Amino acid sequence: MATENVQGQAQAQAQAQVQAEKLNQALQHQLNLEGVRTRALDLFNTISRLLEIFDPISRANPNLRKWQDILGQFSMVNLELFHIVEEVKKVSKAFVVHPKNVNAENSTILPVMLSSKLLPEMESEETSMKEKLLHSLSHLPVSTQIERLKSRIDMIAAACDGASKAIADARKAYGLGSRQVPSMVPPIDKVQAAKIQEQEKLLKAAVNVGDGLRIPGDQKHLPSVLPAHLVDALSSGDGVHPKNPQAISTNNIGTQGTAIQNSYTQFGGRSVPSPSGGTSSIDNTSASPLPYANSPRSGTGMMNVPSPQQQSQQQQQHQRQKLMQLPQHQQQLISQQQLRQSASPGLSQNAVPQLHDFQVQNQQKFQQAQFSQPQSHQQLQNRPLQSAHIQHNIGQSQMSQANQLRSHLGQYTGTASTALFNAAQASTNSQMMPNMPAAISSQSILPRMQLGQRSHPSQMLNEQMFNMGATNSANMAQMQQQQQFGGVLTNTQNLQQGLVNLQNPQNSNYPQQRQPQQ
Amino acid sequence: MECVVQGIIEAQHVEALEILLQGLSGVPREHFKIHELCLKSGPNLGAVSSEVRLLCNLERPEPSWTVRHIGGAMRGPGAEQLSVLVRTTTESKVSKNALRFFYALGYKLDHELLKVGFMFHFHRVALITVTVTSTNKMPKLHVIEEAIPVTPGMQLVEVSAPATADNYNEVVAAVSSFCEYLAPLLHLSKPGHLTGLVPTVAAAAASLMSKGSGQVL
Repeated sequence: MATENVQGQAQAQAQAQVQAEKLNQALQHQLNLEGVRTRALDLFNTISRLLEIFDPISRANPNLRKWQDILGQFSMVNLELFHIVEEVKKVSKAFVVHPKNVNAENSTILPVMLSSKLLPEMESEETSMKEKLLHSLSHLPVSTQIERLKSRIDMIAAACDGASKAIADARKAYGLGSRQVPSMVPPIDKVQAAKIQEQEKLLKAAVNVGDGLRIPGDQKHLPSVLPAHLVDALSSGDGVHPKNPQAISTNNIGTQGTAIQNSYTQFGGRSVPSPSGGTSSIDNTSASPLPYANSPRSGTGMMNVPSPQQQSQQQQQHQRQKLMQLPQHQQQLISQQQLRQSASPGLSQNAVPQLHDFQVQNQQKFQQAQFSQPQSHQQLQNRPLQSAHIQHNIGQSQMSQANQLRSHLGQYTGTASTALFNAAQASTNSQMMPNMPAAISSQSILPRMQLGQRSHPSQMLNEQMFNMGATNSANMAQMQQQQQFGGVLTNTQNLQQGLVNLQNPQNSNYPQQRQPQQ
Repeated sequence: MECVVQGIIEAQHVEALEILLQGLSGVPREHFKIHELCLKSGPNLGAVSSEVRLLCNLERPEPSWTVRHIGGAMRGPGAEQLSVLVRTTTESKVSKNALRFFYALGYKLDHELLKVGFMFHFHRVALITVTVTSTNKMPKLHVIEEAIPVTPGMQLVEVSAPATADNYNEVVAAVSSFCEYLAPLLHLSKPGHLTGLVPTVAAAAASLMSKGSGQVL
């Protein structure tokens, strides 16, 4: 076909430059273009006639539309179209495109799309290209022109073949596109391979298991400036942020650290329930430190919430105080210890002032209940455990408080008090709490109250204890059971359990779920 | 459950891999920056310690948290024959107090890492996610700005797809057939296995990066 066309074109050129190009006669005959054209025109006329006839009728008289007639006419039109398409299809698959589906959308654009006549710009482009190509040959006789064109085509074909061969060879050489291991690839030298393997092991171990990523315990303190997303994640969430972030960083978190600190911060941030109940003849320490800008006391919102809780807890506490007499005193004291000890490493300065505030409110009620309970030896034994475990100062203020307490403790003699002094020197306030009740176990209430300074730790302890008391009595019973386990971690667990109970009164699932575990 | 394979690629070839993945997946690449905190449970939560990962997506201005538990892998002779690891996974979006919550439960921070890179998420028989990341560790706790890569010259490629117990065979087939397309550049295998580098990677990367690759034929 292509050569025929070329010949046709050559002929046309030979005949006259001005004459429009004609297809080969034989081809023309085959295509029967004239016939197809006539048929198409006929069909077009028929359709337009039908439209003319039927349109006004359908518009004027909707009822008088005779569907049968219309359908009959339509079938004729359809038949004609079918014949035309058959004719065209036979011969002109290579030349003609006929649309499969004509509908309202594309009917207008189809003639443009089907036309093979080039757009004017394209046409001019093509003629100019043709000019270029044939210019050199135009003066020669036609046969020579044809030969030259043929040779050009052959050269181009040869170049293409060579190029594709080169690509295939290169592909083979590099193994692309083939799934077998190519034999020509140079092997990686062993040293490099070993290095790569080592790197790979390192990477995969780090990602999958975490090897090489663990920070030794002594470096595991929170940085002073946390990235933004962690500030959100680790903050207490109640609008209380630490006044001195360095205080946090000086804590040695160790194994419990982050967990307890965060939990305690949480606790401190939210533990509004300050049990208040009972009478007290103890004077409040006026030196309750109030200049904590972020403490809940200065805010108004927090204060509104606790009051109903306080009242209810007062009643609860009264009852619990009676309940928690001698038989349960051990458990309480141990819970105190637990609270203290777990609280101390995590005490951030914001927590402490909060507790101070609470204590100021509720000192009176606490003191009685706490000091009325004697300590057991078990707690004395636990103390060295605690002091060994917790080795950091929480802050200088606390140390000074400890010193104040020491002076008060001068009244008490005995091994308990000496142990107390030693502990007070080395440890934080919270540790002193267990020591104090131990020292005063045999004493009456009055001298204890004179201990005065409402040692903030003692207040803290009271509050904590009552907070524990505010939880289910079932939990207390469980904690009693857990005394046997000893150890620090179970204590922590109890604290956390209590904390969870405290903070999420709605999440009653927690205590229930944990109980079976224990 | 998920089907997962891992592979390594040298940092110099990452761009070529991206071009290949772009072509195979047909979706635009998405940036990937995740701070992963791996928490281990304390003894109060059972005799055997369990591990939970908290992923904080730092890509958007508001970080979003996900909790993820990776369970045991499928075992047995059938699993041995598979080239893809099938393991149980549980994942869920959580609010930002998840970290505090887990600490309160008794979990402790075991290790953390920062993954920075890009990922492609597309559907090809199964919903496949391909992530190419540089894994970084933080010498100081939580300080992301000072993260340094664990292996500077090498990045991790992970191809994963979620599956259920019923359809994991098809998902495995989908993942492995997709991995074959990546064969010129890297070799992917189960996370525990070492793969090494592919010998054709340099040539394949060169061909992908050459100008000819960008032209429409």
